[in-house]
Amino acid sequence: MEFVSPEGLRLDGRRPTEMRQLRAEIGNVAKADGSAVFEMGNTKVIAAVYGPREVQNKSQQMSDQALVRCEYSMANFSTGDRMRKPKGDRRSTEISLVIRQTMEACILTHLMPRSQIDIFVQVLQADGGTRSACINAATLALQDAGIPMRDIVTSCSAGYLNSTPLLDLNYVEDSAGGPDVTVGILPTLDKVTLLQMDAKLPTNTFEDVMQLAIEGCKAVANYIREVRKFLLIAVDIVGLCLVIKFRITFVF
Amino acid sequence: MVGLSEGEQEFIKGGIAQDLRSDGRKRYTYRPIYVETGVIPQANGSARVRMGSTDVIASVKAELGRPSAMQPDKGKVAIFVDCSPTAEPTFEGRGGEELSAELSSALQHCLLGGKSGAGAGIDLSSLVVVEGKVCWDLYIDGLVISSDGNLLDALGAAIKAALSNTGIPSVHVAAEAASDEQPEVDISDEEFLQFDTSGVPVITTLTKVGKHYIVDATLEEESQMSSAVSISINRQGHICGMIKRGGVGLDPSVILDMISVANFVSRQLMDKLDSEIAAADADEDES
Repeated sequence: MEFVSPEGLRLDGRRPTEMRQLRAEIGNVAKADGSAVFEMGNTKVIAAVYGPREVQNKSQQMSDQALVRCEYSMANFSTGDRMRKPKGDRRSTEISLVIRQTMEACILTHLMPRSQIDIFVQVLQADGGTRSACINAATLALQDAGIPMRDIVTSCSAGYLNSTPLLDLNYVEDSAGGPDVTVGILPTLDKVTLLQMDAKLPTNTFEDVMQLAIEGCKAVANYIREVRKFLLIAVDIVGLCLVIKFRITFVF
Repeated sequence: MVGLSEGEQEFIKGGIAQDLRSDGRKRYTYRPIYVETGVIPQANGSARVRMGSTDVIASVKAELGRPSAMQPDKGKVAIFVDCSPTAEPTFEGRGGEELSAELSSALQHCLLGGKSGAGAGIDLSSLVVVEGKVCWDLYIDGLVISSDGNLLDALGAAIKAALSNTGIPSVHVAAEAASDEQPEVDISDEEFLQFDTSGVPVITTLTKVGKHYIVDATLEEESQMSSAVSISINRQGHICGMIKRGGVGLDPSVILDMISVANFVSRQLMDKLDSEIAAADADEDES
């Protein structure tokens, strides 16, 4: 099957090094301490963070650092065909573990000993790259919850089809069976924290594909910083309005 | 789990007794309802409903299947509800299963009528393609994203909105096949049939706290309830289903009184919901 047309366009009309449209929202789940929705094209995930709070299962408590837990779940309607999988299948368990390890690496757990942080990610729509979208959503939700972190983590995937490195694979490209490299980076520290690949790839090609994925991660990081900046400005404006309102009531 | 001090509990109960609840509402006032339709592009129909901080999504997926031998002239509808751990950390793993099962069965009681499918809000015979051989199976999935009480009413409203947003592809049946064979069907990807959702009931839950009952209880108010009655009522004012939850018994006369209140409140809810759904559909068409 042809994934890149002779004109150099992909199935959904993107260029090989183009990402899907990103969209993020913060604070969707009112009850959670932090929450975020992250969309990469048609992939849409929601993340909620509860904590730091008291450890629920005392035997898991650690006296020198916080306990980080994560659960990944997919909605029944998230995939094209309706899913009837029970909760906690092997794929979800594996992704939960990946997200937990990635987030644990950037949270300053030693600042919150004897406490617990829960990260729940729920996939609403799956169209390839759910792993990356979940990590990006979790980062935003952790920021929203005000949990101290070394740096944000951003993630993006890249693949190699029709001898072209492709950024941010969608479901059709992902299921083509080619290599799929998922990378997670700490953008400010410029370090890779997550690297996964399936299928085989020559070493020099792998370098290109990984570099492309890292570029993608950096683009996501820029977007996440924009979202944060916008939010902070919004908070400032609200604060300013309140101050002005109080001044006016005070004057009159 | 809701942790409330004794003072807070008294405050909630006292407010309800004086017809001024802790968020400023009266006993029979709903929180503002927001409806968004077409939120899941992969589904045939979907809607997201928010009531205060309660946030639910419902999606409808249609698949071709075989009608059951007992009712060859009717399609099948199934309702499943899933409680996401994002709503409540205790829903993690299998923790949400009990509530999910309770909500799914309550919705099935309230919306699908009896076992025969008679009295269902959805006209099941409109789902048949070839009698006894091919019919549409509707899978209705609800997902609780954020929970702040009154999940059943929110899910009922979301399902109603999702059904009104649902387009079922029209099906062309190929030339007459032998009577024992499965006929070949051709699903159109351009023509869609809309549902008639005017008969779909809305669910109103009356939560009894102290001597009084309230609509649209928040999580804090629900923690103080003695019992709750969910009544599903359609446009004509007919009761389509009813469920009582909570351990404390109710006087039969109280139940009758509750029904008349529910009848009155549900009419307001239905009007509000219909206008929200129409506005949401118009919004979706524009974008």
